[in-house]
Amino acid sequence: MHEKLDPEKDLKNVTTSLLGVVEHIPPDDSTMNFYLNIDHGHLIDFIVSSGDSYEKEATFVITGSYGTFRSILKGEINMTIALLKNRLKLKGNKINALRLMKPLDGVITSLREVTDEFEG
Amino acid sequence: MPQYRTLPKQNIWVQKKKVGNLKNNNEGKIMLVGNSKFEEAITIAKKGSHCGMCRFDFLGTGVCPSGKKHGFLAYWPQGRMQIFKSLMSGKVKPTKKLIEITTSCSLCGICDKQCNFATQLRPEKVAKALKEYTESLDESDFQNIPEDENLKGLREIVGPEWATNDPIIISSYIGSIISPEAGLNFYIVMPKDAEELSKVIKFANTNNLPFLPRSGGTLLSMAAPTVLSNAFGLEQGIVIDLLRMKKLEIDSKTQTATVGAGITAFDLQKEAHKQKLRANVAEAGAHVCSNIASTGILSTWGNKYGWSADNFIDVETVDDTGNIRRHSDLEIKNPYTTEYGFTNISLTPPAIVTQATVKLNPVFDDEEAVFVPFENIKDALTLSFKIAKRGMGFSNVILSRKYLAEFISPTQGIAEDFEYILEKYMKLNYVVDIICNKDEKKIIESMVEYTIDKSTLTSLVLGCPKLATLKESEFMKILSEEKDPLKALFAGPMKKHFEKALDATPENISKIYDKDLQEFFKKVYSKPEMTNIVWLHEYRIFPSRLMRQRMFLPMGGVIWTAYEKNLLDWITMFEEVGEKNKLIHALGFISPFDQGKFAVLEYDFYYDHNDTDAKKRVDKAIIESQEKSLEIDGILSALNFYFKGLYRKEHILFPIPKAISSDDLELFRELLTNIIGEG
Repeated sequence: MHEKLDPEKDLKNVTTSLLGVVEHIPPDDSTMNFYLNIDHGHLIDFIVSSGDSYEKEATFVITGSYGTFRSILKGEINMTIALLKNRLKLKGNKINALRLMKPLDGVITSLREVTDEFEG
Repeated sequence: MPQYRTLPKQNIWVQKKKVGNLKNNNEGKIMLVGNSKFEEAITIAKKGSHCGMCRFDFLGTGVCPSGKKHGFLAYWPQGRMQIFKSLMSGKVKPTKKLIEITTSCSLCGICDKQCNFATQLRPEKVAKALKEYTESLDESDFQNIPEDENLKGLREIVGPEWATNDPIIISSYIGSIISPEAGLNFYIVMPKDAEELSKVIKFANTNNLPFLPRSGGTLLSMAAPTVLSNAFGLEQGIVIDLLRMKKLEIDSKTQTATVGAGITAFDLQKEAHKQKLRANVAEAGAHVCSNIASTGILSTWGNKYGWSADNFIDVETVDDTGNIRRHSDLEIKNPYTTEYGFTNISLTPPAIVTQATVKLNPVFDDEEAVFVPFENIKDALTLSFKIAKRGMGFSNVILSRKYLAEFISPTQGIAEDFEYILEKYMKLNYVVDIICNKDEKKIIESMVEYTIDKSTLTSLVLGCPKLATLKESEFMKILSEEKDPLKALFAGPMKKHFEKALDATPENISKIYDKDLQEFFKKVYSKPEMTNIVWLHEYRIFPSRLMRQRMFLPMGGVIWTAYEKNLLDWITMFEEVGEKNKLIHALGFISPFDQGKFAVLEYDFYYDHNDTDAKKRVDKAIIESQEKSLEIDGILSALNFYFKGLYRKEHILFPIPKAISSDDLELFRELLTNIIGEG
């Protein structure tokens, strides 16, 4: 994934961190999270763990259901629409978060090609 | 290219029953030819615009008995048209539900009367074709869709009758809440109250199913053929049809009405009127609760009655986690406020409104309409805003000649001729249209040189077919040579000749309808309300005529009236965008509110929703005009107040928006691209 993302073109040299909380994961309705840390357009951390919080503080926290994240990863819906349709809940500055959407699309596009636990 | 049925096996019915012949077109698709009834039915079905006028009784005919009994859109005339279109295009294959849907239709003809009044369509012909098609099917033609675990769960909540995964029923929702490009991976659920809805939402969340509510569906149907489709529609999951929530109670002491989510503006107004009260409502087919949540009931009565949270005392909502709340609950977070700014865009309401207690207003015996005609918009604005700032009038709006012609005219052809006459001969481009009491009427009349009086208005409503025939007449040529044609016509010696020439009678206007409907429409136009301008403003049964035979996309928003020059620039911008994209386009209306501090403006781009090229052009016009609206001071574009009707208007509109910076415009472009694509 690192190699696929251009710090300038895809991630706009952005420096930020994001905690994504995924709820209602089947079969046992569990919760997990992923933590992204981007430094000047370089993805330096991508950590997936269980529960709804992570040890490091993130600039933004985005919470949504497993179904919503699955739709995003499948490309059925993008993050901006999910956010504006209230399917993703945001903690953090909305304008800054919206500025982040384009760079995050790059991350999502890369994630789409990774076989991971979201698929199903 | 036309796209008809594509599946050879599915075509067996056509061959066996000889209801038509098959022909391969160049793309290898099968086209149905030689059956004129079917071809006519397809043409009608494709013109269907989901205006929803077939779901409430606005002509005193009653409503479709099948739809009333079964509820799902599939059983209503608009749904049958959509199903026929979907079957013929191969989008959906038959299921046994089709038999129930077609046999439940008795071909009573109510739909033809209602639809013909609004859009000139004959949906009964589609219902007949659908029946004939269904009767020609063999057992092997029906697909069987078993109940899955999700459906089982949903049926446990709402009862087996009110949840379905049947593709035929699902297909009836295409074009209003389901994008034409989406598949049929949906469930349709009709909860009866907030408790059932709450359980449906909790079930949806646990099972990772997205959901979206649907009421009248008009806002969604306007967006469905455009780039806004993905933004406003649902890609898969649960469509929650709120039609069953039919509570309607009027309390004349508190002057309020409690309405469920299934109640239309027309239904509410009718009940309120029995108590000499009036609700502030959107167009007749809009559902009151969803209209509160979507655009906050923006009407021409807003200057007196308010907008958004001004309209209700309390609402019952179900949020996206299934919690039932009331705005009157003490422990809830302030429900009336929202973020400010151009990035504050919502594509769904913050919660589903299941019930609202709305304010009603007294109706006075001395209410009348005053119509003041104008050639130019600047003069019309001056008068309308002056009246608003003085707090006069109940309803205050500047109607464009396009709206005036479209609303009054019973057919598209008459509307076009009517508009031509207004522009070319009468030089009537705008009307300041006020509903007020007797004293206010006198004051307004003293402010202007002349008005269009009641007898002329009545003559125009009933005599518009005759007016259309005067298009190239000597009378009109003489009129156009007058120094002030409007004065000569409405206040001068030509007035009585004009009214006489219109030969305005219910019998004459009924002649423009199909022969079998003429007697019915003669009776309709004989009703006093059809020429009662106050009644027509309250019940708003004419605006659906804008959707006849093609779609329109309303643009615009709110502008502070202190920025009058910007208002004129805004209109010019829309004109230029419409021209550039080769669309039929026109100003719709401008209506002041909050004592004339703001005005809402609607500018419309019209297009044929079956024409791919036209859709692309309207997409470009949407994006371009949205961007350019943000470059003008004092404007909040419509995209920025959609789904904010539950908030206080002050939180939405204050402070005055400024033209955005180039950096912000870049962000907005990105945002727009993410929401609606490149266009």
